[in-house]
Amino acid sequence: MTKPVIEVESLAKSFGDNHVLKDITEKVEPGQVIVVIGPSGGGKSTFLRCLNLLETPTSGKVAFEGQDLTSLDSKSVDSLREKMGMVFQSFNLFPNMTVLENIKLAPMKVKGVADAEATKTAHELLQRVGLEDHAEAFPASLSGGQAQRVAIARALAMNPEVMLFDEPTSALDPEMVGEVLNVMQELAQEGMTMVVVTHEMGFAKEVADRVWFMADGYIQENNTPDEFFNHPQTERAKDFLSKIIM
Amino acid sequence: MKKRFGIVLAIIVALLLTVVPLGQNQSAQAADDSLEKIQKKGVLVMGTSPDYPPYEFQATVKGKSQVVGMDVEIGKKVAKDLGVKLKVKSMSFDSLLVALQTGKVDMIISGMNPTPARRKNVDFTHIYYQGGYSIVINKTDLAKYKNKDSFKGGTLGAQTGSTQYNAIKKQTVGTTSKGMTSQSDLILALQSHKLDGVAMEKPSAEAYVSNNKQLAAIPSNFDLSSDATSSAIAFRKGSTSLVNEVNKTVDSIKKQNLVKKQYLPAAGKYLKTNTVNTSMTHYWKAFLTGIEYTLIITICSVFFGFILGILLSLARMAKGNPFKTALRWLATAYVEFIRGTPMMVQVMFVYFGLGLFVNLPALTSGIIAISLNSGAYIAEYIRGGINSVNIGQTEAARSLGMSNGATMRYVVLPQALKNIWPSLGNEFITLIKDSSIVSIIGVTELIYQSNIVRSDTYRGVAPIVVIMVLYFIMTFTASRILNYFERRMQHD
Repeated sequence: MTKPVIEVESLAKSFGDNHVLKDITEKVEPGQVIVVIGPSGGGKSTFLRCLNLLETPTSGKVAFEGQDLTSLDSKSVDSLREKMGMVFQSFNLFPNMTVLENIKLAPMKVKGVADAEATKTAHELLQRVGLEDHAEAFPASLSGGQAQRVAIARALAMNPEVMLFDEPTSALDPEMVGEVLNVMQELAQEGMTMVVVTHEMGFAKEVADRVWFMADGYIQENNTPDEFFNHPQTERAKDFLSKIIM
Repeated sequence: MKKRFGIVLAIIVALLLTVVPLGQNQSAQAADDSLEKIQKKGVLVMGTSPDYPPYEFQATVKGKSQVVGMDVEIGKKVAKDLGVKLKVKSMSFDSLLVALQTGKVDMIISGMNPTPARRKNVDFTHIYYQGGYSIVINKTDLAKYKNKDSFKGGTLGAQTGSTQYNAIKKQTVGTTSKGMTSQSDLILALQSHKLDGVAMEKPSAEAYVSNNKQLAAIPSNFDLSSDATSSAIAFRKGSTSLVNEVNKTVDSIKKQNLVKKQYLPAAGKYLKTNTVNTSMTHYWKAFLTGIEYTLIITICSVFFGFILGILLSLARMAKGNPFKTALRWLATAYVEFIRGTPMMVQVMFVYFGLGLFVNLPALTSGIIAISLNSGAYIAEYIRGGINSVNIGQTEAARSLGMSNGATMRYVVLPQALKNIWPSLGNEFITLIKDSSIVSIIGVTELIYQSNIVRSDTYRGVAPIVVIMVLYFIMTFTASRILNYFERRMQHD
């Protein structure tokens, strides 16, 4: 077997007395699509944000391609973050820049890519997410689905090894969920390693290699989608699945 | 706990500042090389408050505004006898003693009475002129007032910090005393019946009356010691050798009666040429200089204030190690201190206080003081602006691999700037107006220039109207330009 892309060991995170993550040890293999599901407040987003150190773990290790992020200085963390694209629930596009500038900013300022090359890449990425005619638009004029696709293109512009999705469709109107999920599905088919926190059970069933069921600060179950949805092992998972409409 | 640290720091700074000047005074007394120093320097800087005709006042000589009057003639003679050049520096009467003590000027000739209180702080030469006090009143009141005792229930004015002002306070009963900084303001107040009379030196009173047909002078009948009606030259405490040398000049001036024979008539001539053309358009050059300096001060101060503001706001948000914490406390203490003290005091502190260590010209001092002041306010705007940018923006930038600094520079600050643009614009417009404070240290900005025009023309209101319009044109233009950029930044 190849080396895991992400390895998490005894990860814990508390905010004051609130122990959000208690003890998590898991691996993500190259090319895997992991879907993290579970009840709200179970620590899914915090877990995802610990993977690229947007949240600093209270204890435990988070390793990316064998390097423990928690032991690195901030500069090295910055350069490892380049390899982990992240997509947020609320898009977080830069409102003062056009779509094109949003995508070009990090490659130019972080990697020092020349303007012409960055522009070319940005146009290609926009084509890939089906928004090539919105290059000069400002984020405020985009629909939620369009904005999230731009956010995905922006993350891809850094040529990441892994993509982290933090509830990418939760802030969208229902009719726009599909266009974003399609882009994500295409990415998965191209072999991108992905960790997706979502409530889209359909996406989990169709695209995920593994489903991690997370509740009460632990990963309660790690299984294939088929096994998880049809034969959940734990009471906690059974209880959760019984409450959602499938 | 954090707050207390800031307060302690401020107290320490304040204590340091009071101790330093004392030390200087003592060392000056110990070794008296005052005469040598001046002769070595080759220049004698004379401080004066040029709104006291015929002692000293501004006049247009060959198209150029300059300080003239009997005191200037005396200054020239003193410099000539010492074999050095004379340089005249003008400032408000209140600032003169501080300027002498802090080395901004070498001597004061400004119709200054050598009172016992002043003698404690400076050394005086022999008296060069013995005058008396008169009270200037409106001519229509001539029948009503005879002397100082006729003003019961009324108001008498005099220049703040002058001996006439003290005399009114001590020697009248039932009369309100009112102090103003400049003689021309007092006369204006008299003519608009805010005051019933203005006490001033006799020659000054005569100069005003001879130039303004609506005014009249009456004897004051103040009970005065000879100290109070006389004028002498002031030098720094302990400059005995210099004072002795200058006394020779003063004695010869008195012996030959030069003041009455030459100096007063010479001053009178300027007074006459002065009143020939008093239209405001005649003084357009003076106003233009005023605008120029007002804009220079404002633009420089906004520029440096902005840079300082960014640094301060970042320092105020520094967190992590003890060094950063110390930095944050320092920045917080600075901002609190600057916001808690008047800008006028800061301007005087930079000019006179820092002047003890480095000799800064008035304009530079003014720009430094206003930049330091404005920086503290801008820092607070920027901090607010940065806090107003959604944390998601920072997270998005960091997740793309951008460093803390790059995130701040390319993502957060541009948005913060947009959010605080209206506040920054306000600050800029406020500065255009507040830059007028530097007039107290003699920077020739608009207010200062208008005061010159006022004492030049004896017209009180017209110059005020002119600068009011000029200020409005400047602020209105500035706000239009700022609005234009604000619109260009709107994308959502």
